Amino acid sequence: MNATSFRRGAMWVLVSAVLAFLYVPLTPPLLFSVTDDGSAGALGQFTLRWYVEMWRNPLLTGSIWNSLIVALAAGLVTPPLALLAAMAVRELRVPRLLTLLFLLPLFIPAVSMGLAMAIFFRLTGVPPSLSAICLVHIMWALPFAFLIILTVMATFDPIYLEAAYVHGAGRWRAFRDIELPLIWPGVSGAGVFAMILSFNETVRTALVQGPYNTVQTYIWATYLQIGLSPTLYALMSLLILVTLALMAATSAMRGRRVNPRAMPPS
Amino acid sequence: MGRGRATARHGLLAIPIAFVTVLLIAPLALTFAVSFWERAGPKIRPAFTLTSYAEFLDGARLVVFERSLLAAAEATVIGLLIAYPIAYYLGRHVRPAVTRTVLALFTVPFLVNYILRTFAWTFLLARTGPVNDALIGIGLVDKAVDWLLFSDFSVLIGLVTSYMPFMIYPLWLAIAGIDRRLIEASWVTGANPRATFLRVTLPLSMPGVFAAVIFGFVGSFGEGAVPTILGGVGYQLMGNTITSALDVLNYPLAAAMSSVVVVSMLVLLAFWYAVFDMRSFLGKIVRWRV
Repeated sequence: MNATSFRRGAMWVLVSAVLAFLYVPLTPPLLFSVTDDGSAGALGQFTLRWYVEMWRNPLLTGSIWNSLIVALAAGLVTPPLALLAAMAVRELRVPRLLTLLFLLPLFIPAVSMGLAMAIFFRLTGVPPSLSAICLVHIMWALPFAFLIILTVMATFDPIYLEAAYVHGAGRWRAFRDIELPLIWPGVSGAGVFAMILSFNETVRTALVQGPYNTVQTYIWATYLQIGLSPTLYALMSLLILVTLALMAATSAMRGRRVNPRAMPPS
Repeated sequence: MGRGRATARHGLLAIPIAFVTVLLIAPLALTFAVSFWERAGPKIRPAFTLTSYAEFLDGARLVVFERSLLAAAEATVIGLLIAYPIAYYLGRHVRPAVTRTVLALFTVPFLVNYILRTFAWTFLLARTGPVNDALIGIGLVDKAVDWLLFSDFSVLIGLVTSYMPFMIYPLWLAIAGIDRRLIEASWVTGANPRATFLRVTLPLSMPGVFAAVIFGFVGSFGEGAVPTILGGVGYQLMGNTITSALDVLNYPLAAAMSSVVVVSMLVLLAFWYAVFDMRSFLGKIVRWRV
């Protein structure tokens, strides 16, 4: 028994240490963004001026606007696409192959995916646009949304669809009135997840962006050309806070999810 | 149901298939083709030449290739050593509510852009940064340690913190999905915990281990931002070598290097697909039609 509790203690030390290792890098931007010393790395007086000043830079506000548009589009388009993907896996004869296909964007390294889509757009004559950036973000978010929706679908008992068919409902009616409401938390969760991924994507975007900047490519390009500045720290802090807020929103949604155990076993 | 409706339904289901095929698989194939093309000034034109591959295998870039292989292998092994025990513990010994909370805690830093997280290490590991201060404070070293930042060490830290969170989920999925009765059977037949782990749990968790290895290895192998931020001036891995080839508009060379990364990934993925039954891995979340 002693050995067990020792092992349990050691495990929680490891988990906490690894979490600390992952969370500590989130704090310096938050600290540097509220300090008045222009030189990064030193803490001066508390100030919020960088959060005010960033709105005076039109390049930056433009990139924030672009990020919002792209994230909204990715958040709206990815869930229905992933829902169709999950249904294709369920209904068509080659589920293993289709699963692999829809998970593929997850396995392609960021630079290779960005480069491939950039070359494709270039050779097919698609000019750089926010829509092109959207397509890249949707491709990146698709496997995550697909997995989230599959997970929720697995808790849905198809017997309910059978019941609907018996009562004369068509496939569409049964889907709309029975299945969709029950898997809706997964669909909306996938949407929020897609928005978070879109907000936090740099490398793929940078290869197809053309003249359009998102917040992330703005940070990356400014870092490469000038270096980090308090304004960039303020921007990073905003992104971290938006991501945390969206995460909180997802878990709140998940809290309201229908308890799968309340459903009868299949 | 009418034939037309069935066709419409199949048409809908074909949309995501077409999306990935046209916008990802075709572009990857096109990239592979472009790697054999030749440059004509700032443009590229179809040809069949191995110039780009020769350029890639020539001295300086071969070093980058070897360094990337080594860094990716190290980051993967370290990532596995950290992620496996955590995933094992979460999958076998913890109540579901606790597992969900801990996994959610791992999701937050995973979702925050890893580039933003990587920037912070340039401050944390700097000569005058908190890590050096702490090392001096507790008397481990006399003066600030130089090799913490802009070194293989800092790049490795960046790679592990970027890709290790990716590795926990497939490992946890595979381990949590193991049928408990198999482990109980091992106990009943007299195997000790060690033998049970080595001969039952570990082999059954291999699909997850392999998926984690693909995420960790391929991600680190093709990584471009981490070496740019944490490697210091001139530190090159495959990822930032590809982008610097693009900076001089050498698309065929970038395509050749990217294809090497993608093909190595596809080989690993094909092996994974052929050897492991995905049903054992995704069995918890997909209801397979048999």
